[in-house]
Amino acid sequence: MEVRQVNDFIPLAWQQKEPQKTTAVQGEGFGEVLKRALNEVNELQLKSQQAAVSLALGEVKDVHQALITMEQARLALELTVQVRNKLIDAYQEISRMQI
Amino acid sequence: MKMFQAMQVSASGLTAERLRLDLIASNIANAHTTRTETGEPYRRKTAVFAAVLAEAGQAGEGVRVTAIRTDPTEPRLEYDPTHPDANEEGYVAYPNINVVQEMVDLVTAVRSYEANVTVLNAGKNMFLKALEIGRG
Repeated sequence: MEVRQVNDFIPLAWQQKEPQKTTAVQGEGFGEVLKRALNEVNELQLKSQQAAVSLALGEVKDVHQALITMEQARLALELTVQVRNKLIDAYQEISRMQI
Repeated sequence: MKMFQAMQVSASGLTAERLRLDLIASNIANAHTTRTETGEPYRRKTAVFAAVLAEAGQAGEGVRVTAIRTDPTEPRLEYDPTHPDANEEGYVAYPNINVVQEMVDLVTAVRSYEANVTVLNAGKNMFLKALEIGRG
């Protein structure tokens, strides 16, 4: 059996012999990124609220649009919670460190 | 948001199928309509779907209804001299709608809608699975 064929499916980044030099990331720090992401999540939550209200009022033309908006907000919030959990984990890990 | 691309594509599919359903509903409701504003019998309406192009080299093309066309086939003539809209020879022009065909289209639209919902749920489940990475 020809095994070499499998190589075709390996992502290009892995096939590169020399690792590319990482350039220093300029610009915004982690805090800025987090703040922006939180704002986006907040926006989705507001949209979801609006969708729920218009659904209750019977103003919605497509029910699926309202539900998708709500689902997106829920998923975004879930992701936010996961990021928060990771942050707290990292913080606790550091605070437990022996000096 | 970029991470909800698949969701947006499925949502466009859902909206398109909903519009198709609306048109089928109107076709079946007007299957025996002999009068419209133009004076002609009602004509069958169909939706024209077109892919919405994403940016070059990017996945995720949605679908969009670009036009609602009327079926150009001739009205069905039926002999019924007692009908108020019968012509001099006693023939009534009924819409060019075959209810059986409309029912088939209806089932297709419903199944397509379901398929889009399935894709949407699959995408959602993938997202939720990704959130489980590193947990426990």
